[in-house]
Amino acid sequence: MASDISGASLSSEDLKLQFAPFSSALEAGFWHQLTQKKLNDYRLDESPKCIKGYYYNGDPVGLPTRLTLEFSAFDVDGPTPARCCPALGMLYNTNTLDAFKAVDKKALLEKEAKEIWEAIQSGAALKNPSVLCRFILLTFADLKKYHFYYWFCFPALCFPEGLKIIQPPVILEEVFSPKQISALQEAYDGLCIKRGITAVPFFLMKYADDAVQMALLEDWEAFFTDTKKITVGVYDPCTLSQHPGWPLRNLLVLLAKQWGSKLDLVEVLCFRDQTLQGNRSIQHSVLFQVKLPELPNNSVCLKSVGWEKNPKGAMGPRMVNLSECMDPKRLAESSVDLNLKLMRWRLVPSLDLDKVVNTKCLLLGAGTLGCNVARTLMGWGVRHITFVDNAKISYSNPVRQPLYEFEDCLGGGKSKATAAVDRLTKIFPGVSAEGYNMSIPMPGHPVNFSQATLSQAQKDVVQLEKLISEHDVVFLLMDTRESRWLPTVIAASKRKLVVNAALGFDTFVVMRHGLKKPHVSQSVYAATDSSTSCSSASSSSSTPAGAALSVPGSSLFSNIPGHKLGCYFCNDVVAPGDSTRDRTLDQQCTVSRPGLAMIAGALAVELMVSILQHSEGGYAVASSSDDRMNEPPTSLGLVPHQIRGFLSRFDNVLPASLAFDKCTACSPVVLDHYEREGFSFLSKVFNSSHSFLEDLTGLTLLHQETQAAEIWDMSDDESI
Amino acid sequence: MSCSVLDEEQFRLSCQLLLQRSDQLGDGWSWEAVQGSEEGYLRKTALRSVPSDWGPLHDQKGFSSHPQPQTLCDSTGHEKEEQDPAASTGSDFLRAEEEDAGSYTVTNSSSLVLQYEYHILFSCSYGAPVLYFRAFTLEGRSLALEEMWSTIHPNYRLCLQNCPLNAISQQEHPLLGQPFFFFHPCRTEEFMGPVLQAAPDQGRPVNYVLSWLSVVGPVVGLDVPLQYCTALHSTKPD
Repeated sequence: MASDISGASLSSEDLKLQFAPFSSALEAGFWHQLTQKKLNDYRLDESPKCIKGYYYNGDPVGLPTRLTLEFSAFDVDGPTPARCCPALGMLYNTNTLDAFKAVDKKALLEKEAKEIWEAIQSGAALKNPSVLCRFILLTFADLKKYHFYYWFCFPALCFPEGLKIIQPPVILEEVFSPKQISALQEAYDGLCIKRGITAVPFFLMKYADDAVQMALLEDWEAFFTDTKKITVGVYDPCTLSQHPGWPLRNLLVLLAKQWGSKLDLVEVLCFRDQTLQGNRSIQHSVLFQVKLPELPNNSVCLKSVGWEKNPKGAMGPRMVNLSECMDPKRLAESSVDLNLKLMRWRLVPSLDLDKVVNTKCLLLGAGTLGCNVARTLMGWGVRHITFVDNAKISYSNPVRQPLYEFEDCLGGGKSKATAAVDRLTKIFPGVSAEGYNMSIPMPGHPVNFSQATLSQAQKDVVQLEKLISEHDVVFLLMDTRESRWLPTVIAASKRKLVVNAALGFDTFVVMRHGLKKPHVSQSVYAATDSSTSCSSASSSSSTPAGAALSVPGSSLFSNIPGHKLGCYFCNDVVAPGDSTRDRTLDQQCTVSRPGLAMIAGALAVELMVSILQHSEGGYAVASSSDDRMNEPPTSLGLVPHQIRGFLSRFDNVLPASLAFDKCTACSPVVLDHYEREGFSFLSKVFNSSHSFLEDLTGLTLLHQETQAAEIWDMSDDESI
Repeated sequence: MSCSVLDEEQFRLSCQLLLQRSDQLGDGWSWEAVQGSEEGYLRKTALRSVPSDWGPLHDQKGFSSHPQPQTLCDSTGHEKEEQDPAASTGSDFLRAEEEDAGSYTVTNSSSLVLQYEYHILFSCSYGAPVLYFRAFTLEGRSLALEEMWSTIHPNYRLCLQNCPLNAISQQEHPLLGQPFFFFHPCRTEEFMGPVLQAAPDQGRPVNYVLSWLSVVGPVVGLDVPLQYCTALHSTKPD
């Protein structure tokens, strides 16, 4: 037999008996329960608590010998999983990491070892052998970070000279006949049934050719009356063929203490009981012939060991970070992300969510549009949202502005920008929101009443410039036309994507501003810029810029690339076919059908997302209504320039229009002046009447739509 | 009636039969009822040892707001950011204990042991059972989706990830509200159809849930013993 051959070659040194230590195995439920206990019961109480784990002797080969603790560990009197052995332990939960480190591990182990030793000496361990298989769990729960530090100890008493086996271990089926094996199984099951349990940790055993008898440890004297050969069974969680598990270690001390003087040799059956593929087997159990050392006849406690090594194989505690599954904020974040991922997994595999989630959005205006845009951005998982608004929340606001409540109106009303941030954070703590309670200087609204107003305006401009620089997308969601001018100019100059939404009574426009081509370099830019401004100044034509460059024969308003698209001020918001009213939307803005802001706000965000999904982003060619039947340019579909909606007809159209070379906001001459003169140019615009911009661009007034309307109407008509 | 669609009653019946046999085989399935509702699910936990050399991860690109350790080889990945609390706990006594001659330590770095929890639920919309599962390290930390993929055998992994929708993804458990991995049921009818159609010709009964489980289970380490089936044939002739 193979074992005989290897046995012959073994030296006495090799026949040392070594035990496989327990590996701690913790279920997530245990940490959840510990958290609850700490918060609700223990609080600052550091006194040891009794807990319960279990081990199992039916694992397939290759799995570590485990002591498992699950959520039920704190219910010491609760049931143990079927066919598992319970193990009792003491939980030492400290309040701080320092206390965790400072705990005297040696003293803790010795205290526990002493109790085991006393139970062995007194014989109490015979009646209650579970005392042989105990553990200590030292923990610190950092409930701010959901980090759990822990260290297990499985106390074991050591024979001063170690333990020897007189021959190599043998597998049960090598010595037992199939008949004996089935008799053994029957005897074990019978013992279980008699005791009303499903696993017996330690037992005594006698066997003959066709019969096996078993008894509990406490029945030793009655059981072993005339037998020279002593066989002891241990429910063994180890799967190694050459080593027993940890529970045997203290049992051998008990045997040595109680009967060591009479016994020289003890046969140990490491009972392993596996059900694989529906077949139960115990034949892989292992038999050890252990030479039982005599213990000195004094009551000094044996040396003890048992602290678990960490995953690095060193003596030290372990730490597990459970913030992903326990921190409610992290759970909310991962659920939000999950929802979005599902969109990608199920419907739009090529959706680039990172692009959306990482986009920093600046919302100018925190009113009906701002609130709805913010909520839709949150739905898309956008984390970075900044509000600018100078208004306070009034009593009429909460019903239409979903980020505010009645309470917010009291005492003069909270600032919208800060209240919106508070509410976003309440809705989703993972958001990174900021609010700026500030005004945006407007053309025709003088700022030069005093030095103070002038410097305030300058500060506001600097702040707005800074905010626009720091964000990726600027949403224009204000209630006046004039207030959109300054951010349009700044964003055009900084080449930031602008999404603009404006409401009428039952009409709306949602549009992206044309995104100018990047500044090539300072010198080249200055040259081209001056030439363009010269040419535009000398030109008397009012045709939109770039029209001359377009390929002859192609429609003026199809396939306009993103950099040639107009801005809000190139394209008035008068609804096509509705120009008889002769009023711009913003003049009517305060009265609109209540659903309109939600529709327009949602479309503004969806437009942004579609733009981001396009490989060229803001430079994407504008899709028009005609493209609705064509292959869409992005996984989400079209990327229009404008969406104009008519609620009365429940209809949307997708016009596109070119940038206007005399635009009061994005024409080269305006941008050039802004970039060269900065605030001195801007303050002229703020302080002057409309004629200033008119003179500069050669256009009619900013505020007198009547004259410009003809041009804008024409472009609108043609684009449809 | 479309024979490859399962209704809730048939699902319950299939589960009952599966449970009966599981009890006989000691396979560990149990029925978990949801408090205050008629609904419930089959549950089983299992331990699984996953080789750590199952190749690099092929995660879908494009969404990684919470970067996770990319392999499972280093289960202590999270620990590295932290100051090692062991530093100040070392002592002579511990060093002595490290050399305990009576203990035999297995150093097994070529595999990782994971605790799995499997749930079988009924999906009304697909008329099919759905396998939900999650996996934990022995420390109790649950695996992220990217890590979960690295526990799937490479042969399965490539095949599952190459279909337009990843067959395994993550979503909230419909009854528990916690994040779970799950096997998408959209293809279930495809492979169950032929099984169910062939059954009457071959004159053998089919336990829908059992047959289905024997297909999807092994992918995520859940083996279905053959004894389930042999028993069903002999003891449940109808």
